[in-house]
Amino acid sequence: MMTSEALVEEVVNEVLKRLQGKTQVSPTPANAGKSVYIGFEEIGEAKAGIKQDEVVVGISPAFGIKFKENIVGIPLSEILREVLAGIAEEGLSPRLIRVKHTADVAFIAHTAAKLSGSGVGIGIQSRGTTVIHQKDLQPLNNLELFPQCPVLNLDTYREIGKNAARYAKGESPTPVPVQNDQMARPKFQAKAAVMHNFETSYVTPGAKPVELKVSFGRGGN
Amino acid sequence: MKSKRFQTLAERPVNKDGFVAEWPEVGLIAIGSPNDPKPSIKIQNGKIVEMDGKLREDFDMIERFIADYAIDIEAAEKAMAMDSVEIARMLVDINIPREKVLEISKGLTPAKIVDVIDKMNILEIMMAMQKMRARKRPGNQCHVTNVRDNPVLIAADAAEGALRGFDEEETTVGITRYAPFNALALLIGAQTGRGGVLTQCALEEAFELTIGMRGLTSYAETISVYGTEQVFVDGDDTPWSKAFLASAYASRGLKMRFTSGTGSEVQMGYAEGKSMLYLEAKCVLITKAAGVQGLQNGSISCIGVPGAVPSGIRVVAGENLITMMLDLEVASGNDQTFSHSDIRRTARLMPQLLAGTDLIFSGYSAVPNYDNMFAGSNFDIEDVDDYLAVQRDLMVDGGLRPVTEEEVVAVRNKAAKALQAVFKKLGLPPITDEEVEAATLANGSRDMPARDVNEDLKAATEMMQRRITGLDVVRALAESGYTDVAQNVLNMLKQRIAGDYLHTSAVLDKAFKIDSAVNNPNDYKGPGTGYRLSPERWQEIKDIPQALKPESFNTEEGA
Amino acid sequence: MMDEKMIEEIIREVLKEMKGSGVAVKENPVEKGARNFNPKSDYPIGEKRKDLIKTSTGKSLDDITLEQVMKGSIGADDFRITAETLLLQAQVAEAAGRTQLAGNLRRAAELTKVPDERILEIYTALRPYRSSKQELLDIAEELDKKYNASVCAALVREAADVYEKRKRLKGME
Repeated sequence: MMTSEALVEEVVNEVLKRLQGKTQVSPTPANAGKSVYIGFEEIGEAKAGIKQDEVVVGISPAFGIKFKENIVGIPLSEILREVLAGIAEEGLSPRLIRVKHTADVAFIAHTAAKLSGSGVGIGIQSRGTTVIHQKDLQPLNNLELFPQCPVLNLDTYREIGKNAARYAKGESPTPVPVQNDQMARPKFQAKAAVMHNFETSYVTPGAKPVELKVSFGRGGN
Repeated sequence: MKSKRFQTLAERPVNKDGFVAEWPEVGLIAIGSPNDPKPSIKIQNGKIVEMDGKLREDFDMIERFIADYAIDIEAAEKAMAMDSVEIARMLVDINIPREKVLEISKGLTPAKIVDVIDKMNILEIMMAMQKMRARKRPGNQCHVTNVRDNPVLIAADAAEGALRGFDEEETTVGITRYAPFNALALLIGAQTGRGGVLTQCALEEAFELTIGMRGLTSYAETISVYGTEQVFVDGDDTPWSKAFLASAYASRGLKMRFTSGTGSEVQMGYAEGKSMLYLEAKCVLITKAAGVQGLQNGSISCIGVPGAVPSGIRVVAGENLITMMLDLEVASGNDQTFSHSDIRRTARLMPQLLAGTDLIFSGYSAVPNYDNMFAGSNFDIEDVDDYLAVQRDLMVDGGLRPVTEEEVVAVRNKAAKALQAVFKKLGLPPITDEEVEAATLANGSRDMPARDVNEDLKAATEMMQRRITGLDVVRALAESGYTDVAQNVLNMLKQRIAGDYLHTSAVLDKAFKIDSAVNNPNDYKGPGTGYRLSPERWQEIKDIPQALKPESFNTEEGA
Repeated sequence: MMDEKMIEEIIREVLKEMKGSGVAVKENPVEKGARNFNPKSDYPIGEKRKDLIKTSTGKSLDDITLEQVMKGSIGADDFRITAETLLLQAQVAEAAGRTQLAGNLRRAAELTKVPDERILEIYTALRPYRSSKQELLDIAEELDKKYNASVCAALVREAADVYEKRKRLKGME
């Protein structure tokens, strides 16, 4: 067994190697002093997967485009990296798509789940709100919902990736402990509304989800 | 340049709150967006062909639904021709009874309703609420949840909440699959505390209905409607699916109300540049059109949005008033954390508490806010003595009563034991004596031993597959010797046979007698009329255990 | 005091107002069955007119006791409201001036005959992007023919029409 750190390292290196020079890389502000680049390459319409060992991660229309950080300033590159690494850590393959027809996190996650070979998907919005979904559930139902984005940290995102992978393997994992900060609303709700109105301005009605290749960079500028 | 004064102010709780400037282009404005339409109506051959400046062929599905089913065409032309100020004055005039106002308000379009509200200041809105509330007696609802979905604790807290006087109790889940246990624990706890308390479990729409059909809940509330078509569809429904759902509930003898609130459309990113109150007026009209008896509104889970813009809290009281003007039951919010500032959160409560609404909170957190899975309420159990003092100070009925530690401990213990017995009878994962003891004395889930969550979730799923119903619960309770609780649960199930509680603002007293807007309508016409505290109720409110009495000085220490 | 004739008149008037409305109502013969029912003074019906309430298996409210439950003579079906009771409650709503609520209770009366699972399926089919127009029309036909639920059928037909105009049918997202 590899340690999770080593595995992440390998995943990141592998992805970087394959994508080197291919994508347009947009820098994100350094925050935690770790990875600061995130780059996406659209590689065509996202197709329904047939591999049962995959988990599809859907990101929202403005994720990494208008917004580089979530509502409390965690770089989206790091959030995404943790989720993908969490899936990989459980031995499954993450596949990344961008959902363009909606900015609603439940529908993003449900879209991802429907395209996922395992039937399990994850949806993430720019502000950081995340859902683990299963294709046979009603869109507004879920396997696990993390509505309070201001209290989610990178460890939680890693656990979300891992749990999604466990559902995909047919296991019944203990849900990621639900974070609850009752004062998040008065502090962040109006900001969330402002962010979401930017997010919805990136929605393209009727557009199909697209498959993404992602690259993370390290270090300074 | 660093002012110590400003440093001190910056550290005050109010400055942890989020405030934003108005952004009318996306609808981040409480009332009076430049994009709000002007009131208008045109009727031809019994159909509304123009509403608020829009022609029928341009109506979206919401507007069509409202025009065809909400607005009373007979009343509309006269009502729409009236000056908004005149209608606003009718609302506050003690000489004009509620029924007379309804004759006008049932013919108003969304834009006209908002124009009327905009003519009123906060005190006038409160005066109008006092008169327009559908049921004579104000009431209250609480939340009973915990962060671990611990069923034993839910049962104990539900029993205490019922004892404290709540008419309704609502639970929800951290993890969806726990829902059957939460609903079961709430039902048993509530009926242990006080027979007749209505209970519900907030879930995804279809699942919520299923749980109700099984007899594990007695009503539903989280049936959300929205004021723009896009957000309605993002909410995974249409006015037609929601109207069908409303009939589905009634067809099983289950009470229900819809939920909406200012700020939800802009929160979901599609307010079409309209003000929050204009869109909320549409939600209230959709509710009316669907034939639903009532509505939970007062921004609800989006309170941080109107709470952050100018006049937002006045507008939240305004949306409660619109619900009353349309003759609907209102469960009036105050149910979500609103501010870090105790001053602001108290001020936010005053309109509903002082005027009185069918359910002042929807709900008051009967658990510490750290355990509140609706992300916290404006008031929680740790504020309860403050709340009781305010009732006493202002001689106002907020729906709660003072209780003693002894009776609370006793009722919590009984509820936890009753649930323990039912779990055993139904073959659900065991509840230990240690858990019963902990739940009896707990303040919150931090005081509870951990349960095997996976075992619980597996059993909860099986409980649904085994089709355990309220009737099984009655049997399990009676077989375990909890005859009184069994009788209460049975009486709750019997409510759905006669369906009397399907009517507007219906709740049940401890003798399972109906108290609704039909048999106890609000007849306020100024001083000396409407709801007044009875001598017994006032005695109850006065008698807080902390109050020193002359007899207190008859002890040795007091001498 | 209201007499029966006056009530009938009110009902007729209300019905007239609601004519042609899909969410609303048509007159139902069952409602005439309950003699001497005063929708203003006989509410709560479960208290004042117990004689008019029967469970779906024909028991009266007083038959539903804890004793009978323990004897095993009460089943889950005994807790189902009947169409007849809902129609009485619709009259109560109308007498209180609540036209739309009465309409909802009448739709509900129709749905008492539709099984739980089918109700949930129809609800889901009415949610956005779930059904083609034909699928909705088929449901309306089923409601009409199989369950004699003509008001609910009209509601579903109207939905089919609106969803088509507003592009909310299956495959239109």
